[in-house]
Amino acid sequence: MSTETTLDDITRSIWEQVQFTADLCVKCNICTSHCPVANVTDLFPGPKYVGPQAQRFRNPKELSVDDSLDYCSGCGVCTMVCPHGVKVMEMNAKARYKLYRDKKPIPLRNRLLGRTELQGMLGSPFAPIANAVFQLRPVRILTEWVLGIHRDAPFPPFSFETFRGWFRGVYQKSPHRLKSEKKVVYFHGCSTNYYEPRVGKAALAVLEHNGFEVVVPEQVCCGLPLLSNAEFDAARHKACQNIASLVKYAREGYKIVGTSTSCTLSLKSDYRHILDIDTEDARLVAEQTYDICEFLLDLANAGELKTDFQPMEAVIPYHAPCQLKAHNMGLPAIDLLEMIPGVKIQLVQADCCGIAGTYGYKKEKYQIGMDVGRPLFEQVIASGSPIAICDSETCRWQIGHATGAKMLHPVELLAQAYGLDVNQG
Amino acid sequence: MSVYDTIVIGAGLTGLTAACRLAQAGQKVLLTALGEGALLLAPGCIDVLGFQPADSQQPVKDPLAQLDSFLSDNPDHPYRLLGKETLAAGLTAFQELVNRHGLNFQGDPHHNWHLPTTIGAVHPTCLAPASMAGGDLQKAAKVLIVGFRELRDFYPTLIADNLNSQSLGVQASALQLDAPPPVAGRVNITPIQLAHAFEDPLFRRRLVQAVAPHSKGVDKIGFPAVLGLAEHAGVLADLQKGLGKPVFEINTLPPSVPGRRLFEALRDAFLKAGGRLIIGGKILAGRIENGRVVEIRLETASRAKPLRAENIILATGGIFGGGLQTDASGRVWEPIFGLPLHAEDNRHRWFTRSFFASTGQPVANYGVMVNARFNPVDEAGQPVAENLFAAGAVLAHSEWTRGRTGDGLAVTTAYAIAEQLTRSAQ
Repeated sequence: MSTETTLDDITRSIWEQVQFTADLCVKCNICTSHCPVANVTDLFPGPKYVGPQAQRFRNPKELSVDDSLDYCSGCGVCTMVCPHGVKVMEMNAKARYKLYRDKKPIPLRNRLLGRTELQGMLGSPFAPIANAVFQLRPVRILTEWVLGIHRDAPFPPFSFETFRGWFRGVYQKSPHRLKSEKKVVYFHGCSTNYYEPRVGKAALAVLEHNGFEVVVPEQVCCGLPLLSNAEFDAARHKACQNIASLVKYAREGYKIVGTSTSCTLSLKSDYRHILDIDTEDARLVAEQTYDICEFLLDLANAGELKTDFQPMEAVIPYHAPCQLKAHNMGLPAIDLLEMIPGVKIQLVQADCCGIAGTYGYKKEKYQIGMDVGRPLFEQVIASGSPIAICDSETCRWQIGHATGAKMLHPVELLAQAYGLDVNQG
Repeated sequence: MSVYDTIVIGAGLTGLTAACRLAQAGQKVLLTALGEGALLLAPGCIDVLGFQPADSQQPVKDPLAQLDSFLSDNPDHPYRLLGKETLAAGLTAFQELVNRHGLNFQGDPHHNWHLPTTIGAVHPTCLAPASMAGGDLQKAAKVLIVGFRELRDFYPTLIADNLNSQSLGVQASALQLDAPPPVAGRVNITPIQLAHAFEDPLFRRRLVQAVAPHSKGVDKIGFPAVLGLAEHAGVLADLQKGLGKPVFEINTLPPSVPGRRLFEALRDAFLKAGGRLIIGGKILAGRIENGRVVEIRLETASRAKPLRAENIILATGGIFGGGLQTDASGRVWEPIFGLPLHAEDNRHRWFTRSFFASTGQPVANYGVMVNARFNPVDEAGQPVAENLFAAGAVLAHSEWTRGRTGDGLAVTTAYAIAEQLTRSAQ
């Protein structure tokens, strides 16, 4: 093949910018027919219309053309199934930013939902009281009236002990703490810090068990909840803080491992492709970032993962979150968990659970989210399994809410199979 | 680094068929594709040979019997590598495969169905879902074609008028309805969304009430192909019971519901057999050393991931599918391995002067040249890599629009390669 630069090389670099991928669209409708939202409501006409088609009418100097894109959940199934490389979801996220900037103020509700750290910082120190109060029906009804957060939306209880608090207070002080040449950075995300420290504890235990010393550097919210609520400037601020903190480790060759597939997707892709932070540092952090199951399966394929699992007879339903599929790396959790003797993972055939980050919390979108997730919920219930597995936190909360199943992150099952005491450190 | 027995690149009919067969034979298979393949854009039937000669007005009745004549007109077509026996075996194996996974494909390699299209033309096809085969035009019948105002681009009057004007022995009448609630009054509804609505028993009851008064004296009733997705069999049976007559489906413009059913059946069969699937994963490049593909590189969200397998099947499609790339200067190339192609890097040679030329357009025959094992070869006929195989629309001389050979080519080349790989493993 010739190596000279052709006209096509130049046009391709333009196409790689999200907005220009609209030109790759052949209107085949594959995205629309897979769109979980368009299949349950006509409030959203579908990704083809709102994405590449409307993109032709989006002039930076003119008002946004289509308010219905607020009903896009941002799940990204459209980008995934597009056989022509159109970045539909990314295009819609950018258009939503412009829609709010041009036409309407961002509601207080969206600003609150976008600030997961603020919620955690306010809720966690008063967890026993906050949890008790927020479980009261009248409080939820009031919250729905005043803020527009649906009364039935799945809020997990705050954890009184934050993951970072435990890490500093217990883990780091533990005499058993592993010192090793092999080091990884752990990105815990807000959900692990404020709601589910057990996921982070399991991750640390599993990584240590495999000989890795774990570093937990300064980090803030990945910014995705802000991004999906059209607050790009605030999201960029978070992104830059994370990049500045993580790049020091990335430069030294550390891998950055996360347990939240949406946080890791932000680090890998959204910072650059949606927030346009295309710096050398951002690229370096992206290249070094791994989903924890991806990281562990790479170890396994290289023959470096410990396999001293205790057998466990179980058939367990597993949902692969949209934000995991967008990593384009397959479903590493399945191969990893099936290394546990006796475990059979049953992949639930569903596009999306419907929660899509903060989408399903909103009063006007809660029912859409539940309708989107119905086929998934039915399969989990039909499986009869008391537990189900999912890599992403809000999906776990949604599926648990809709099915009553106990929801685990894959790394929790691994820690259990290794027989690790996750609270010790 | 992953190690698979086989990696299949491409999630169209070719890739899915090959991947399914290999996974069911016990191989560890990864299927990876930039996006979903073209099944959603096709009527969901298997066309093997529709017109011979290609500009004939008469649709083929027995595709296998016409094969020799087809190959004498198109001596380079990949069918020549298969022979009648493999062609027939591949089609039968495909039919068994999908019918084991919830579909009901009817037909045999010695027979073509002649099905009505969405404009009332005749579509000759070999294997078709029972719901579509029921619309066969080779038997005289009085048929009622039903359409819905909410569904664009499906006009029962157009279909009926065109069928009646072709003296096919079919007498067609048309009925245009408002769909029952909750679809009534919606605009921009896609066939997929309408298919979801058909899975609701109340919707069907209301529909039967609206259609029944118009169905007196007709032998069968044709609907757009939207009669349910996962629950299709039940939807069809319920409508036939309610209307007391045979009901059949006519393909729509894309997105195609029968195509979606076929995609889902093949995908589920593949996953059930333990296959691993990455939709959205583009293969950036492959590395060939000493006559073997040693690695291909998958574009993940932030880096290229190397993948390894004993064998690689290239099922990436032609120019439309992205298996071949072109640019404004007329260059044509195969983007993963840079394979030698039957193609001309000169736009003036892509087309003849006549759009409907009986020879077809040269560009439609561009593609990867292969040997009898389906290994890509160079101009001298030497294989590029012994563990690389190409199937389906990426193959040279596979011009499928005129003879209507595309689906047959996809299914049978996938079959031939899968057979070869499972045999050699034994």
